[in-house]
Amino acid sequence: MASDLQTDVLVIGAGPAGSMTAKWAAKSGAKVLMIEKRQEIGSPVRCGEGMSKDWLQDVGIKTGRWVNLEVEGARIYSPSEQVYEINEKHAGNEVGYVVERDEFDKQLAIDAANEGVEIRLKTAATGILKENGQVVGAKVKQFGTTFDVRAKVTIGADGFESQVGRWAGISTNLALRDMDTCLQYRMTNVDCDVRYCDFYLGKVAPGGYVWIFPKAEGLANVGIGVQVSQIKSMAEARSYLDAWIAHHPAYAKGKVIDMVGGGVSIAPPLKQTVVDGFMLVGDAARMIDPLTGGGIANGCIAGKICGVVAAEAVHTGDASKTVLDKYEKGWRVRLEEKLYRNWLAKEKLTTLSDATFDKIVDALRGVKLEKLNVHNILKAVHEKYPEVTKEFEAFL
Amino acid sequence: MPSKKSLHIESSGQLCIYCGACVGICPLNCIYLDETRITFDEKICTRCEICVKACPVGAIEIG
Repeated sequence: MASDLQTDVLVIGAGPAGSMTAKWAAKSGAKVLMIEKRQEIGSPVRCGEGMSKDWLQDVGIKTGRWVNLEVEGARIYSPSEQVYEINEKHAGNEVGYVVERDEFDKQLAIDAANEGVEIRLKTAATGILKENGQVVGAKVKQFGTTFDVRAKVTIGADGFESQVGRWAGISTNLALRDMDTCLQYRMTNVDCDVRYCDFYLGKVAPGGYVWIFPKAEGLANVGIGVQVSQIKSMAEARSYLDAWIAHHPAYAKGKVIDMVGGGVSIAPPLKQTVVDGFMLVGDAARMIDPLTGGGIANGCIAGKICGVVAAEAVHTGDASKTVLDKYEKGWRVRLEEKLYRNWLAKEKLTTLSDATFDKIVDALRGVKLEKLNVHNILKAVHEKYPEVTKEFEAFL
Repeated sequence: MPSKKSLHIESSGQLCIYCGACVGICPLNCIYLDETRITFDEKICTRCEICVKACPVGAIEIG
């Protein structure tokens, strides 16, 4: 029987948000234990591996061997396969890296370890410890043995399938329209272009998109996200992806060497991410960008804030909601407006016909946008096809 | 009480890829992923079939 443990900060989950939280809590002087249920941090990969890069420096992440390749731009394909190209020069840093996600997660865990974070693998949370309504740690199971970890602050960073948040009393339930179900093949012997990340919109992927993220010459992640509310029968995500590949000779000739799946929330920001003694961060807190499906940047940005606030709570000896609300406010200042805006945009985009997507991409092809955001896109579309933007007037 | 339909999660690996999509969408938080095993709580599950739709590979069946 393993004996119970005591720590200042317990982080549940060693993905990017967990490692960032752990790192910044330790850097700010707290004693931190991070637990991970898997036997290897970062593996198996459940990610498209496309990532923006303008936020990395801000949260203290250095590039390393996790950078697979740097793309020059992104190409958006309309249903009739008109292409709109976003390149770095006139899209800020919206496009960025294709990454080795397992290496990325390991690098962040190493950064955390270097700040003194203790890490335990094969250690899963099986319940939350509460005293007088306050979370005071978690019940965990390591190598088949169950014991308590008591912590001044407990952090749920357990990803899309988070249960810890719900155990702590935070509602993270998703509406069917607020989730995409995703499937991706790593394909070899394909004709991909290593200069671009490609996105295909429309009925090929209802309520989502098909992505091609190149890993090397002839090697790419070919994936799809489909809105769950638009799914009619079993295994439709796979059917849509297989159909798309069959219709694209450059990929139909390829061979699948790896396969990953997963859920992605495309939800509005949660109303609450903090309770007494507990904070929720990253995909677990539904911080994924509802428009792009990207979760790493937001998880890391929020993780830094979460870690600093956790350490503050430890130092002041007060981990009540009142103190932890600093995190709630902090991440909202950084992320909430964009999350909400992009969720509204997603709500509209998921209802559009292929003809409308064609018009949007056509309108974009004719202009040069200073910065790519929902507002600028709509302005451009409005000039050429005012009837298309009628429904979007709230954004203009 | 009317008898519930049966829900079957194929998690031996023939279909299931252990992605956790069903776990995250379950409105009752009653599906559990343990690396290479998925289980659900028979007593809590209402057979709402949301997980059937959320599964990208069709590993969950209801009958």
